[in-house]
Amino acid sequence: MTASPQARTAVDPYENVKPIIEIDGVNKIYDGRAGKTVALKNAHLTIREGEFVSLIGPSGCGKTTLLRLIADLIQPTSGSLTVTGKTAQEARLAREYGYVFQAPVLYDWRSVIKNVMLPLEIMNYSRKERRERATRLLEMVGLQDFHKTYPWQLSGGMQQRVSIARALAFEPRILLMDEPFGALDEITREAMQIELLNIWQATGKTVVFVTHSIPEAVFLSSRVVVMSPRPGKIEQLIDIDLTYPRNIDTRESEDFFHLATRVREALREVH
Amino acid sequence: MPENTKLEHPILHTLRQRVPLFVTLAALFIMGYPIALLFGLPLAQRDMQDLRKWDRGTFEAAPLARIPETNTDTLQFTEGLSSPALLTFANEPVSTNYRLTDHQLALAAPLSPGDVVRWQGVLEPRDGGIYAFGDVPDTRPDIYVDGAHVKAGLIEANEVPDGQRTVFTFSVDNPDTDGADNNEAARAHLGRLLVDDQVIDRDTYTVAEVNRTTQVVLEDAPPFNSNVRTVQGDYAWLDTRRIVFNTPPARDSTVQATNQVMRLAAQLEGNLDGTNRTFTFPRENLLESDDERQLFVGSILLSNDDERPEERVDGETSVFTFASEQGIITLDGRVLEAEVDFARAGNKVTLRTTPARNARLRQHPDYVINDPTAGEVLLATAPLEPVWSSRYAYYAEPSCGQTLMACFFALPQHPVPFPHWIAARAPAFVQKFPVSDERNVFRAIAYTTTGTLLSLLLGGILGTMLAVVFVLVKPLEQALLPWVIASQTIPIIALVPVLLLVLGNLGITIQTSLLPTALIGAYITFFPVTVGTVKGLRSVDPLALDLMTSYAASPVAVFMKLRFPAAVPFFFTSLKLGAAAALVGALVAETESNNARGLGFQILGQVQSGNVADVWLLLLVSALLGILLVAIVGLVERVVAPWLTSGAGAS
Repeated sequence: MTASPQARTAVDPYENVKPIIEIDGVNKIYDGRAGKTVALKNAHLTIREGEFVSLIGPSGCGKTTLLRLIADLIQPTSGSLTVTGKTAQEARLAREYGYVFQAPVLYDWRSVIKNVMLPLEIMNYSRKERRERATRLLEMVGLQDFHKTYPWQLSGGMQQRVSIARALAFEPRILLMDEPFGALDEITREAMQIELLNIWQATGKTVVFVTHSIPEAVFLSSRVVVMSPRPGKIEQLIDIDLTYPRNIDTRESEDFFHLATRVREALREVH
Repeated sequence: MPENTKLEHPILHTLRQRVPLFVTLAALFIMGYPIALLFGLPLAQRDMQDLRKWDRGTFEAAPLARIPETNTDTLQFTEGLSSPALLTFANEPVSTNYRLTDHQLALAAPLSPGDVVRWQGVLEPRDGGIYAFGDVPDTRPDIYVDGAHVKAGLIEANEVPDGQRTVFTFSVDNPDTDGADNNEAARAHLGRLLVDDQVIDRDTYTVAEVNRTTQVVLEDAPPFNSNVRTVQGDYAWLDTRRIVFNTPPARDSTVQATNQVMRLAAQLEGNLDGTNRTFTFPRENLLESDDERQLFVGSILLSNDDERPEERVDGETSVFTFASEQGIITLDGRVLEAEVDFARAGNKVTLRTTPARNARLRQHPDYVINDPTAGEVLLATAPLEPVWSSRYAYYAEPSCGQTLMACFFALPQHPVPFPHWIAARAPAFVQKFPVSDERNVFRAIAYTTTGTLLSLLLGGILGTMLAVVFVLVKPLEQALLPWVIASQTIPIIALVPVLLLVLGNLGITIQTSLLPTALIGAYITFFPVTVGTVKGLRSVDPLALDLMTSYAASPVAVFMKLRFPAAVPFFFTSLKLGAAAALVGALVAETESNNARGLGFQILGQVQSGNVADVWLLLLVSALLGILLVAIVGLVERVVAPWLTSGAGAS
């Protein structure tokens, strides 16, 4: 730990926005057969409302662990973690976030629209509301013609879009995304990135995005969290001060190149 | 054109989908033939080789057809006889040279009638086709009617008269009469009926053919220990002086008798060098135990007897005394060699090795059949004159037929019948009982199907409930699963009677209720359903569970919206397994006694009556029913789980 992560956020556009996720000295240790594995060590991170934060780092750096800790899918060994001012569990029970996995995790037995309506059913939305929201979201992700289709009839990219629509269905304040485009081809992936940015800007959600792609992290994020493996820890926070909305031109700008280089160097340092 | 194909599409599509099924069906049908042969031919082969299953033939010396009345150098025989044959005259070989060609015999020097035939006398006619000699003849001569030889024959009834019995059967060879009611034909085959030496009036008895024997029902019971016989052939001897004809000869015909007849006899092959004792019959496969076999050396008739030793064969004695002082000694049919296996002193024979207790030790004074299959006889002394036989019996040919295939077709039961034989049974089966009868085959199928479907329903519900309980309460699974497994190790064949007994005591029988069948089927079905559904409920993708956690979903919601649907394919796969097993259960249940319903009863009935083709037919029906049941489960699956239709599992 060279310096406190906060110290580097000099030109933070979210400086005055209230924090939505606060991670303070969180450790996660797995007790495995081969002994203890420190998955995450002394993590400090504050994410403010409306931010698009990417967690980047090589495999085993704890980025997914961190995301799952935030989602209360696993619990920290020590340290404190608050989400929207509540504990992670309270936040989960309050349905504060939508989670998008690397795989689409669609239910085979549900049609596309029913998959999107799944969280709404669980959260007891009215039938009418469910249909309206699902229809709207499917239109947003460009799948308005696939309501009755079963997941296995869709391409990987389409499935992932359904999965994003599903995460947005109950309008959570936070979107947690674990390498959602990891399994997609480059062309689909770039299209999806632009789509995601559009959704983000349209809804103003806070997004925590796990990736191991530098261009993806730089292109999407307002802030990139660089992490290192063994034990997993947060090494650097890099603000991406590229203006939104970003498009294909953004990728070709010099600033993009510089920032990508910065992230790359930071990653090289930790590796 | 494209519109046309679109119109036909549904039917064509269904047909095209079923093509593999049709192909395998056709392949199975065709495969049935080699399989039938594979299983049937060894049996046919066995029938062919088993001498006991052969037809018997009797060789009898061919008598002259006509007595020549003038000097002649050719003789005509009624039966053809192949060489080697021997011309005999009054049981003595004729020394003249002759040449035999089928039925005709050409003599080197003519014979006068006087040389050939000496009449013993003319018989006097009496009433009812009975003829009598003036004196008692020395031996039973051959009878000639107007110079033509006639055959004698007499068959005794199978039953011995006890003074009460009026029904007698005769094993009369009558291949032509088929109908049991053809009284006249049966009468003709039977010949005239005799009780002792009395010809029975034909109005006092009836004749019918029953089970391949001819049955005679007399009005009056013949006296105790009398002889009930029929005339077979042209005539029969009533006593030492009288003969009775089956059909009385014409009024003016002469009936003559003689024993001075020129005959042809079968000559045995073998060297007459004074040392050779082994001779061979012209035919193989001799009947070993034919009492009427006649064997001559020159004109001397050899004894067909065998002598038992005076001592008991007790496993200790090795010196035995026989009636005569010479002969062939056999032990259990094996010829013992003189000076090697035994030593002889007069009629005392000392065996080198003590024969085992109760071994069959015999002395054959004149000859023994050494190798019946080769038609080989061993004579006690080497003959110097031709060895011949005027009569002997042999196994002629397999009664099933000449060829292996003929024997295959003649098999009384084919272990695997030809497919088209099985198919041919179908119409008869369908028509056997009307639809109003519960033994009608369609009703049986419907009954079994209903029972099995009901058992699937019960088993499905029970199995699913158990699976849910197991998944929800882990300790319960650990406590109960071994018992669930144990329940399946009980042989269904043992369980069924017990269950039926218990239910029967409650007044629920298989005749009155589907419940027993359903319970037995359910008992079999629930197990795969439980195991499969437990696996299905546990098979959920961890990420899918995480998703539910992220929604803060209640356990009920997780169960209803995730675990349950995820288990559906497992459930149906298990249910399909269960469907096949439940069918077996239902079939077994239906084989219980006091039941006349269902396919199981039908199968049992055919098994008990040994009707292999029908059993096969029912087995195929059962198999098709199994396929149908699984298809029904598949159909339900399609309705309940439409997402599983083709390709769903790919993800």
